[in-house]
Amino acid sequence: MALDPKDFPVEEHALPNGLQIRLLRDNALPVATLYSFFRVGSRNERPGITGISHLFEHMMFNGSRKYGPKEFDRRLESAGGSSNAYTSNDLTAYYEDFASDALPLVLDLESDRMASLTIDDNSLAREREVVKEERRFRTDNDIDGMMDEAMGALAFLAHPYRWPVIGWMTDIDAITRQDCEKYFRTYYAPNNCTLVLVGDFDSQKALGLIEQLYAPVPTGEPLPTVAVGEPPQKGERRAVIRYPSQAPAVLVGFRGPGGQDPDSLVLDLIETALSSGEGARLKRALVYQQELCVDAGVFFGWRMDPGLFEVSLKLNPGVDPLRAESSLFAELSRFCDEELSPKELDRAKNLVRAQLLRGLSTSNGRAHTIGQMEMMLGTWRAMLDLGDRYSSITAADLKRVAQKTFAPHRRNVVTLIPGEVES
Amino acid sequence: MSKDLALPPHAIEKLPSGLTLLAIQKRGLPLFHARLSLPAGACEDPRGKSGLAQFTVDLLRRGTRRRPAQDVDDLIESMGAQLYADASMEEAALALTVPAELAGRALDALLEVALEPAFEESEVSAARRRTVAALQSDLDEPSSVAARAVVTLGYGPGHPYAHPGAGFRRDVESFSAEDPRGFHATRYQQSGALFAVVGKDEPNQLLALLREKLAQWQGSWPGPAQRLQLQFSALPPGDGLRAVIIHKPDATQAQVRIVSPGLPRTTPRYAEAVAMNTALGGGFTSLLVDAIRVDRGLSYSVSTRLHMNRRAGLSIFSSFTKNETLRELIDVALEKMRGYAADGPSEDSLDKARSYLAGLFPLGLESHEALAEQIADALLDGVGLDHLAKYRSRVLAVTAEQAKAIAAELSPARPGAQLVVVGEAEVARRALAGLCPTEVRQLEEFA
Repeated sequence: MALDPKDFPVEEHALPNGLQIRLLRDNALPVATLYSFFRVGSRNERPGITGISHLFEHMMFNGSRKYGPKEFDRRLESAGGSSNAYTSNDLTAYYEDFASDALPLVLDLESDRMASLTIDDNSLAREREVVKEERRFRTDNDIDGMMDEAMGALAFLAHPYRWPVIGWMTDIDAITRQDCEKYFRTYYAPNNCTLVLVGDFDSQKALGLIEQLYAPVPTGEPLPTVAVGEPPQKGERRAVIRYPSQAPAVLVGFRGPGGQDPDSLVLDLIETALSSGEGARLKRALVYQQELCVDAGVFFGWRMDPGLFEVSLKLNPGVDPLRAESSLFAELSRFCDEELSPKELDRAKNLVRAQLLRGLSTSNGRAHTIGQMEMMLGTWRAMLDLGDRYSSITAADLKRVAQKTFAPHRRNVVTLIPGEVES
Repeated sequence: MSKDLALPPHAIEKLPSGLTLLAIQKRGLPLFHARLSLPAGACEDPRGKSGLAQFTVDLLRRGTRRRPAQDVDDLIESMGAQLYADASMEEAALALTVPAELAGRALDALLEVALEPAFEESEVSAARRRTVAALQSDLDEPSSVAARAVVTLGYGPGHPYAHPGAGFRRDVESFSAEDPRGFHATRYQQSGALFAVVGKDEPNQLLALLREKLAQWQGSWPGPAQRLQLQFSALPPGDGLRAVIIHKPDATQAQVRIVSPGLPRTTPRYAEAVAMNTALGGGFTSLLVDAIRVDRGLSYSVSTRLHMNRRAGLSIFSSFTKNETLRELIDVALEKMRGYAADGPSEDSLDKARSYLAGLFPLGLESHEALAEQIADALLDGVGLDHLAKYRSRVLAVTAEQAKAIAAELSPARPGAQLVVVGEAEVARRALAGLCPTEVRQLEEFA
C-alpha cells in the first residue's frame, strides 16, 4: 500500500544559505501549519550543560529584534494561531497552527527569531525555573519519567543518549547565558533547519515570502561532531529505584538499531505485535491471562543513532517484579523461537499502516510526518513507499531481528520497588 | 476571518426508534470512521455503583454472544483498527476507523460489540480485578488524584456528575455480572443514541449503508426499558474559600486546583464564556500564564478550564509548583482571578482571545474522528449545528461588557471556591496557614 504521490504534491526548495523548504498545499480548511525542524537535540550536548537543547527551546519564545519579550505568542494568538515545540534526543521542532491568512506574520515571527534571538540574563533565570518545574513534574514526581531517566543512564555508557532530554537538575542550574549564545550560533542557522508548510496557501506567494525573510540569515559554521561511540554491551545491567508508589514497575530496554537501519521497520512491527491493541501479545498474556500488569507497553522510536527498544510493565499492586519479568522474557523468547503466524503478521502490518494513514489526516500531522522523514530518513519521499516496505517484511525477518535484539546479554532492567529510600 | 464555517456535506436522519443517523462526507484519505454514541454515560451510574458506565463499556469487547474476547480483538484489529470505547459523563461511545473498503465489516463489528456483549462471569470478575488495580495505580499520578478530587468536591454530594468516570474502588469492588448486564439492558437504547459515519462517499450513500447494516442488527437491540429521571440540582454556593489537602508522601511538587460552579454546555452564553476563559487562562498568553509562568517562573503549566457537561459545569484553575513556592502560586492566582472577576479582560486581551479561538477552530474539525465527535456532540447536546458553523462569528462578536459580566460569574476564585492541593500534607498545611479553613484527607479516599 504505497501512498499515491499525486495526493502528496510536496514542493522542494532550498535557499542559498542552506535552508530547506517543503510545501504541501491543501485548501480543504482555512488553516495551515508551519514546522521548523532543527537538527539538534540532547545528543548534541555534553556533560555540564545537559538539558540545554530543551532549555533553549523555551528561550526561543522570549523575544527577538523585531518582536520583543512576550510578543511571539501574543502576536500569533491575536492573528488566530497557536504555537508549541518539542525537543527530543535528536532534534528540536517548533510549530504553529494558524488561520491561513496569518501566514505572513508566522513567517516573520519565525525568521526573526532565527535571525536575531534575544538572550538575556533575566529571561534565562525565569525560564530556568520553569524548566525545573517541568522536570519536577515529568521526572522527579513521575514514575515513568524517573524510570526512563534511570534506563538511559544504565543502557548507555558513552553515548549522549545517556542523559535525559530535560537534563540533570544541577546542569539546568549551571547553564549560562554564554552557553546559550554559543548554542544558538552553532545550531540555529538556516543550514541546520528544514521548514515544512502544509495547508491553505498560495505556493508562489509563500515561497516568495520565505525567500524574502530567510535569505538574509547567514549560513552557520559546520556542526561539531557528535561523540556517538558506545561500547558493545557484554551482560545484563540492572538498576533499582525505591519510591513510595502504590505498585512496582519494570522497564526493560534493549539496544536497537538507528532509524536509518532497515531493521527499524522490523522492530516497528515487533512493537505493534507486542503492544498495539487489546489483542497484542503482551497485553493478552500479562494483562488479561496472567493478570500481572495494569498495562504493558512497548516504545521503539526511530533515532539517529542506535537507540532503545523499551518494554514498560506497570504491575498490579503486590505482584513480584521478578515474576512479571520472567513472563515478559518468556513472551520475548517466543518471538525469537517461533515465526509469527500469517494472521498475526497481517494484523501488525495493518495496524502500522493504519497508524501511518491516521497520522496524515491533519495539516499538523502531514507537516510533522514530512519533517520527520526528512530528519530521520533523509527525504520526505520515504513516507510514500513506507507502507510497501512494511508489506515486504516477512515472519523470518521478525524472528531474525528479535533474536538479535532480545539476547539476554543485551537487557537493561530498571525496577521500581514501592517504599522509602533508607537514609 | 469573520465568515461562518461551511461544514462538509452531511445528512441527518432521525428514525422512529429515536436513533439519529449522521453521515458526513470527507474527501481525501481513503478512510472510513464510525462512531456510535449511546445514552449510557457516567451520570447514569446508580448510587453506590460509580464507575458502572465505564466498566460496562470496557467489558463490551471482552466477549460477545458470537465469539470470545480474543476473537473480538482479532475481528477489529485485523482491519488495522483500534476500538475506541469510553464513557463520558453523558454518553458511552464506541468508535473505530478503517480503510474505506472495510466500511461494512467495521459497522458489523461495532454493532456486534455494542449490542451483543456476553458479560461472562469470568470476564466480569477479571475486569473488576483489573479496574481495582488500575484505580490504585492511579494514585501514583498526582494530577489524576487532583482531577478525581475536583469533580467529587466541585459538584458536591448527591450530584450525578460528582464522581470520576472510572468510579471509586469501593464501588467497583462490589460489581457483579448483573450490574453491567442491567446497565446495558436499560441504557443501551436507540432512543437518544446517535450513529455517525464519515467517509469518502456521498452522504446519502453512507446513510444507505448504515440503514442496511442497522436492519441486519435490528433484533439485537435491548428491549425498551424505563429509566429513572436524574436529578440535577443547582450547585450550592459556598461562603468563603476552603481547602482540601490530599496527602501524597515524598512529593516535591504540589498540584493545585481551585474550583467553583460553572455553566452547562447548553448555555446560550457559550461563546462569551469561552472567550472570557481564554483571556483568563486558556491561551499561552493569558493573564494567568503571564503572571505565574512568564513573569515569575513559578510553574510549567497554568490554565483555567470550563468543565462543561450537558446540564452543569465547573470553572477550574489548574497548576503545580515546587513545595517552596506553593503559597506564592496560590496568592498570585487568587489575586489575579479576583481582579479579573472585578474588571473583566482588557480590550486587547479580549481581542486576542476572540481571534485565537476563531482562527484555530477549524483545526478541531480536521480528522475523521474529530468531525464525527464534534457534530455528534452538537446534535446530542441539542445546541444544533450552528454551534459549529457559526462558532467563529459568535466568538468574534463577544463584547467587553459580556466578557466582564461573565468573568464575575465564572471566576474559579469567587466566594465559596474550593482549593485542592495534592502534595506533602505538612508542607501544604504550613503553606496554607492563615489563608482559609483547611482539611487534610488521605490519598486512598480518592481511589
